[in-house]
Amino acid sequence: MRNPSPLVAEFLAAGKAADCPVIDCHGHYGPFQGIYFPKVSPEAMVDSLDRAGVRCIVCSSHAALVDPARGNAEMAEVVRRFPGRFRAYLGLNPNYPDNLRDELARFDDLGGFVGLKFLSDYHRYPITGDAYTPAYEFAQERGLPILMHTWGGSAYDSPQQVAEIAARYPTIPILMGHSGFGDWEAAMQTALDHERVYLELCAAYSVHGVVETFCERVGSERVLFGTDLPWFDPHYGIGCVLQSRLTDDDRHNILHRNAEALFGGRLP
Amino acid sequence: MSLEFFDCNAAYGVWSVPPFKPAVCAQDLLDEMAWCGIARALVRHAALDNEAPQVGNRVVLDETAPHPSLYPSWAILPSQTGELGTVDAFLASMRDAAVRALWAFPSKHRYTLDAVSCGDLLEALAERRIPLFLQRSETSRGLTGWELAGALLKEFPSLIVVVVGHGSWGEDRLFRPLVEAYEGFHTDTSRYELDGGIPDFCAKYGARRLLFGSAFPNTSPGGPVLTLAHADISDEDKQLIAAGNLDRLLSEAQP
Repeated sequence: MRNPSPLVAEFLAAGKAADCPVIDCHGHYGPFQGIYFPKVSPEAMVDSLDRAGVRCIVCSSHAALVDPARGNAEMAEVVRRFPGRFRAYLGLNPNYPDNLRDELARFDDLGGFVGLKFLSDYHRYPITGDAYTPAYEFAQERGLPILMHTWGGSAYDSPQQVAEIAARYPTIPILMGHSGFGDWEAAMQTALDHERVYLELCAAYSVHGVVETFCERVGSERVLFGTDLPWFDPHYGIGCVLQSRLTDDDRHNILHRNAEALFGGRLP
Repeated sequence: MSLEFFDCNAAYGVWSVPPFKPAVCAQDLLDEMAWCGIARALVRHAALDNEAPQVGNRVVLDETAPHPSLYPSWAILPSQTGELGTVDAFLASMRDAAVRALWAFPSKHRYTLDAVSCGDLLEALAERRIPLFLQRSETSRGLTGWELAGALLKEFPSLIVVVVGHGSWGEDRLFRPLVEAYEGFHTDTSRYELDGGIPDFCAKYGARRLLFGSAFPNTSPGGPVLTLAHADISDEDKQLIAAGNLDRLLSEAQP
C-alpha cells in the first residue's frame, strides 16, 4: 500500500486506532421498512462500534421518524442502557404539528438527547415549511444542532433550502446529512456561505474524490463523519475517509475532533 | 492477516458523463490500486459500454497489455448483427487474447438479454463456464438488476452471472433468493455496505459467492477494502472473497 499514513496503517492492521476515537454523528436505531439489518439490536450495534473504534454514536430511532412519541421513548431507553456509547437526536414528524410541539416539550425529560433530526424527504415536507418553526426556535434558543437528511435536487431538503434556513437561523449548527448527496457544488457553497453548516459524510463518502474535495474547498474542520448505522458498516465509511488524499490531521478532524467541538460536553 | 485483493469491478477511460473524480487512463487505475493496496484488477474500459464493444474490447487489450496486474474484460452483443463475429469466432478471439470474463450492457447497447436474442452465445458461456458480469443498473425486457439476473438464470441455470454495484440501501431481500436458487449467481462487495452484511451472508451461504469489488472510479476503494479486511469471518473466507473466488472463476473459464 502506497498510502503513507500511520493512521491508515493502524486502522488496516487493527480495525481501529487508539488515538482516533471515532464519533459517528449520524446513526439510527431499530428496524426500518426497506432493509434487512443483521445487527439491529443495541448490543449488536455496540459490537460494530467496538470493532471499528467508534467511541460514541448519536442516533435517531427509525420509529421516531414515523411516530415520534413512541420512537423517541425507545431511543431514550437505548441511551439509558448504554450511556457511554449512545446519544440521541429527537426525531420529529412535521406532518403532525401538535405532536412535534409535544416532543420538543419533553426533550429534557427523555435524557441524553443532544439535537434534533429532520427527515424531510421521507415526510415530503420541506425544511422551509412553517411546521418546523417551533423546532428551529427551540434549537436556536438552546444552541442545539439539527441533523437534516439532505439530497441534491430534492423538493424538500436540497442544499439550496438548507442555505435558506441557515440564513434565517444563522446560529443553529446544521448538519447536512449526506452532504446534499449528488449536488456537491451547492452543498459546498452552502457550507462556505454559512459558517454553522457542516457537511456530514454518510453515503457521500463512497463517491470517489468527494471527501478530499470537501476538505480542499471548504476545509476538513467543517466535515463530520456518520454512517446511518445500523445501515452501513462503520469500516466502509472510515475506509473511504482514510484512503482519501488527506493529511492525518484532516482525518482526525473528520472522524472525531469536529464532533467533539460541536457537541462539546453533551457527548459521553 | 495481509489480504491479497483482486478487484472484479474496476474501470477507467473517458465517459460522456464522467465520474466525480475521473480515471482516464490505466495508470490512474494502477495508482489508486497501489494507494489502497489492491494487487490486481479485472478491468473494463469506458468505451466498452459508453462507445461500443468493438472499440472497447480492442482498446482495453492494447492498454492493459503492459500491465500484468490488469486483466482485460470484454462486452458481448447478440450474434445476429455480426458485429463481434460469430459465436465461435468471438470465443476464439477471447481465447487468443486471454480474456476470461464478459460484460452485458443490454440497455446501453439496445438489445434483449434473453434466449431469443442471445441464446447461442449464452449457451456457450454456460458450457464453457465463462462468467458474465452485469451491472445492477442495467435493464432488459422490462426487468432491472436482480429481476433481470433472475430471468437470465431461469433460462440458463448453469450460467455464471456476477451482478455488481448493487445499491447500498439494503438489497438482501432481492438478491438472496437468487443465491439460493442458482449456483452460478454471484455478487460483488463494492456497495455491500450493510453493517454485518458480509458475515451474515457467509454464515448462511458460505464465502464462495461474493467477489471483492471496488466500483472504481465511481466509488472509493478504501471502503470495501477496510470492510472486508475487518469483517467478522475467517481469514480463509476473507481471502476467498478478496481474490480466491475471482481467481477460481477465471481459471475455470474455457473460451
